Amino acid sequence: MSLIIRRQIPIVIVFVTAVLVMTDYFLKIPGTGPVVRDLQNWGVILTAFTLGYGAVNLFYLHTRHISRRTPGQWPFSIWLLLMIVVFTVVGVTYGATSKQYSWMYNSSYFALSATVYSSLGFYMTSGVYRTLRPKSVESTLLVITGVIALMRNAPALAVSAPILISMDSWISSIPTTSAQRGIMIGAALGAIALGIRTMIGKETGFLGRLTEAEKGA
Amino acid sequence: MIMKEQVKEKTILEKLEDVPREVLYGLLLLAFIIPMLNPIGFPVPTSDAVKKWYSTIDALPKGSVIMVDFGYSGGGEPELGPMAVAVYHHIFRKGGLKVIAMSTSIDGPLLWDKAMAEVKPEQYGAKYGVDYLHIGYIAGGETAMAAVGKDLRATTSTDYKGSSLDQYTVMKGIKDAASFNLLIVYTTGGDQSEGWVRQWYTPYRIPYLCAVLAMMVPTMLPYQKAGQIVSLVSGAQSGEMEFLVKVPARGIKSADVITVTHLLVIAFVVLGNIAYFGKKAKGGG
Repeated sequence: MSLIIRRQIPIVIVFVTAVLVMTDYFLKIPGTGPVVRDLQNWGVILTAFTLGYGAVNLFYLHTRHISRRTPGQWPFSIWLLLMIVVFTVVGVTYGATSKQYSWMYNSSYFALSATVYSSLGFYMTSGVYRTLRPKSVESTLLVITGVIALMRNAPALAVSAPILISMDSWISSIPTTSAQRGIMIGAALGAIALGIRTMIGKETGFLGRLTEAEKGA
Repeated sequence: MIMKEQVKEKTILEKLEDVPREVLYGLLLLAFIIPMLNPIGFPVPTSDAVKKWYSTIDALPKGSVIMVDFGYSGGGEPELGPMAVAVYHHIFRKGGLKVIAMSTSIDGPLLWDKAMAEVKPEQYGAKYGVDYLHIGYIAGGETAMAAVGKDLRATTSTDYKGSSLDQYTVMKGIKDAASFNLLIVYTTGGDQSEGWVRQWYTPYRIPYLCAVLAMMVPTMLPYQKAGQIVSLVSGAQSGEMEFLVKVPARGIKSADVITVTHLLVIAFVVLGNIAYFGKKAKGGG
């Protein structure tokens, strides 16, 4: 009974759902539309629910850090929980699109996340300066394309030397697109294989913790 | 012997090849700050991709409906925000178009508010609920795109403020993806930019304009070459769009910064390579 509930029923649900969604996407058979619409809306609701569940889980995890005084962690956990509480209270009291909530978001999270993302520019500059060396045929090609791309992406340089635009356009259109297509097709084939294996119960990762016997059943 | 090697002074070539990080970061910081405070006004080229984006919106007949995904996060706002603002200026100035926005990023509604505060739609006579609207953050990524495309009202019945969609005239006649004439996506997520191709272009053939972070462009190029994206631009091209729309703002300023910082990086690459070849010539490298 346990095996049926933990393994067989979820696999049947996944199989039926996948077949329905794929049938609607590729074949447009009348009658599947409303069912798939409901399934997709369930997906949206479930994802929204997981956001709330994530917050609860975060609360639980960091409460444990605080109660155990985890070295190097617990002061940050207090700060995190405080922020969750403050944002939740302001969001619920005034609304998530209120001036108060927007001010808090713009003054803290927005400024910080933009700063963290922007700081990548410093690391990239240092990395480019130290590593772009023509030590082999491959790295020489990398240096040439890298320098062309850098020059093309400097707007003033591209205006003064339009040939950079043509060169960059060729690099983007031919070698980059070809390589990217190869990567995408490979990844898509892998995704199809994984999807089929999941549908027929060969991949059981989505079922959570199973024993070896249950996996092989 | 080891001690002697440790105190051995670096040659000029070695110093050139190993400029301390602090110096490099300091110069880069100056290259950011100076043009930002004192815009130089370097010329900005207008690429074919930006021109095509502009002409696609320009060619829309009156009464067309546009879906906009504000799918970027706070980290990507400095790059994609100016592009979104410039495009909204273009749409509102043209007039006669309906714009429905949604967000596949949880930050989206707040960033949309920020963009609208910059655009000031009222200067073009555009009104919320009549000409434009935001239906809020829809969770689920690609599932959300598919759900909105299949039946928008079944996915959400309210706008981002929680007010019923029925009270807004802009929503009249809008039911699903087939109600839209154009899709515009600003996103910092690869799943989002590719997901819209799968969920809106392929099943409904909705023309798709895509703006992503500069580093995401190579991953999206195959879609553009296959004709699934009408025009693909990066946020770094915001200055070009502002130039076309004739509303110079953050994008033009950042074009100066991009030029100066890129020149600095090129100078350092050249410097590093001169040192590398110099050492090699001396039998060192």
